Amino acid sequence: MTQTTHRETRVTPRPARPPRRNGRFLPALGRFSLFALPGLLAYTLFVLVPIGMTGYNSLTNLNPFNPPTQFVGLRNYVNLLSDAEFHQALLNTVIITAIITVLANAGGLLIAMLLDRPTKLYVLLRGVFFTPVVLSSVVISVIWQAILTDDGLLNSALRGLGVDEPPGWLSDPGLAIYSIAWIMAWQMLGFCVVVYLAGLQGVPRELNEAASIDGASALQRFRNVTWPMLAPALTINVVMLLITGFKAYDQVRVITNGGPGNGTTVTMAFQVVQTAFVSNRIGYSSALAAVMLAIVAFISVVVLRFLQKREVSQ
Amino acid sequence: MRRTLIFGLAAVLAAAGCGVGETPQAEGGASASAGGKVELSFLVFETPNLNAAFWDAAIARASAKVPEVTIKKLVTPNIDRTAYAKQLDAAGNLPDILQSVNPAGFAQAGKLAPFTDEELKNFIAPKAGAIGGKVYQLPYNTQVIPVVYYNKDMFAKAGITATPTTYQELLDISKKLKDGGTTPFIVGGGGADTWADMYPLTGTVATDVYKTTPDWLLQRAQGKVKFTDPDFVAAAKKIEDLAKNEYIDPAGLSRSYADTEQAFRDGKGAMYPMGSWFATSADANKPSFEVGAFPWPTDDGSPVTPTFTGGGTLVSATAKNVELAKKWALAFDEDKENNDAFVKADGSIPAIKGYTPPADMGPVYNATVEIYQKGMQEGSIFDAFSQEAGDGALPPGLADKAALGVQDLITGKKNAQQFAEFLDDEYAKATQ
Repeated sequence: MTQTTHRETRVTPRPARPPRRNGRFLPALGRFSLFALPGLLAYTLFVLVPIGMTGYNSLTNLNPFNPPTQFVGLRNYVNLLSDAEFHQALLNTVIITAIITVLANAGGLLIAMLLDRPTKLYVLLRGVFFTPVVLSSVVISVIWQAILTDDGLLNSALRGLGVDEPPGWLSDPGLAIYSIAWIMAWQMLGFCVVVYLAGLQGVPRELNEAASIDGASALQRFRNVTWPMLAPALTINVVMLLITGFKAYDQVRVITNGGPGNGTTVTMAFQVVQTAFVSNRIGYSSALAAVMLAIVAFISVVVLRFLQKREVSQ
Repeated sequence: MRRTLIFGLAAVLAAAGCGVGETPQAEGGASASAGGKVELSFLVFETPNLNAAFWDAAIARASAKVPEVTIKKLVTPNIDRTAYAKQLDAAGNLPDILQSVNPAGFAQAGKLAPFTDEELKNFIAPKAGAIGGKVYQLPYNTQVIPVVYYNKDMFAKAGITATPTTYQELLDISKKLKDGGTTPFIVGGGGADTWADMYPLTGTVATDVYKTTPDWLLQRAQGKVKFTDPDFVAAAKKIEDLAKNEYIDPAGLSRSYADTEQAFRDGKGAMYPMGSWFATSADANKPSFEVGAFPWPTDDGSPVTPTFTGGGTLVSATAKNVELAKKWALAFDEDKENNDAFVKADGSIPAIKGYTPPADMGPVYNATVEIYQKGMQEGSIFDAFSQEAGDGALPPGLADKAALGVQDLITGKKNAQQFAEFLDDEYAKATQ
């Protein structure tokens, strides 16, 4: 009823405004432009100009320690096609992104449903789950390193339980990438919980009650009522997790530095920074960054479009 | 609108007017304060041993000798000062004076000021780390890399009565220790400290490659030798075999540098191949057992002492006042108290003529210095692979790649031949 009334209120025609005089419109536009100017200027300086410079540098062999800089056209991009390290970094990034997108979404939804109660204890628990999101990634990484290192908490506990040779969570090349993905998923879990909680609180109870009266089971109510209503929350979470996964750097830098071994946990963002500031190959790293930007933009747009269409259809 | 524009214009003019009447820049572009002093920025790095108080005191002592300079201390966000210096340089903010940054790349690009022979007259090895015949980093100290530090209790318990003088004896000792349930070698390299896994390889390259070809890395730069040559592969094969025989525990690769040192202190392994800087740490914070030291042995028992000399202060070619910056850098590196402090905090062996370490140094430091002095007497001093600076240094980024490659050797992901091929590939990429 309330919603209907609300809709009726919104369609009530507003009282007609007095027609604007052209003489006052242009000064108003100028005033608004002035307000927008600082933001536009900052965006141009700190986002558009660096992107433009990256694009330009990617067409050169820029190495500040090995001048002169020469224009090399698309050579850096061609070299990327046969660069095994780049392929490994791309694969690692995709693995991390896929794992955190699935884990954090599934875990976040589950926990949000458990916490969707109005008592004080559950409000407190929401804060607890959100804490990792506001902590620095470096702090999180140091904590998890202490847990997962060979002599860390987890292996000490496993040894205490009689496991003679517990896994090398960070030293085994086959496991390290999954450890990194797990840590990132754990950190993003709280974000997903909050977004899903907001979504759950927007689901009208009447719908679930009506479905219940019609004989729908709990699973059927979730599948046919709750889940479709959570479509906008899913969109936000998936897009945010994709972006987080594709720009993974901090955790890799602190926990494994790309190892153990060459390329085991190297991500695209990590490779960009290493190539630029350790190997000094700014031109090549700019090409890497440009490709990374294109991939993230493409995947984000495609996924966003797909999920938004799903929202509309449901 | 007009009023807004007038206000904005007035603000811009006011800001521009702030420059009027400022003290003119000193010679060389230096900005001088009211007292006529030149403020120079100085990039340092902090570690548990070289903490903020250490740097502040050392800076104060040097500044007392060069009173026309005031120092603005900059601290790197982590121990990798070279990478941070590159970031600052990329932003056009290379500090005026830098501590222990690898000059490779900076010097060739003309970003550093060379020191003259006259300025280097007090140094024992004035040409150490020279690039194109010029020295850009003060060669103020020497480190032996690696020294094999060992747990005397564990050796005694395993019935080992003497330290090894040949590589075969080292293998025999390792077998004895392993058979007795002790991990022979503690090797780390976790987190951001990948470099900490390099030291066994630094030892084998010195004994198997540099001993016969001391300028091997320079020859590599000239394309005369390759990593896939038999002598280098043999050096890498020794590490591969140590890992295969389980004398090195791959699980240690998750340990940071600090955790690796702690693992040795906790008795999780009997031998700890590390740079000589560990000596003062072992003396200052004694483990529950006695620590001994011996050099990495050769196949035939002949002595080889891999060392690095250099590591001191550098001056930017675009420093606000290059001459004053160099004067201050020399005062900083030659000051007796500063060197005493470096010796006590970081186990350095100062390479300054006439310098003698404090008399109250501990037994592990003294054992380390003995190894170095013996190497000097025997003429067995060689470079320490991956630590070199100067013309024979690895290209930028390759030492990090080598450290990651060593992890592959230890985990069995690469064999010695593949590791050597990997280094040749990375060398080509780094120099293209």
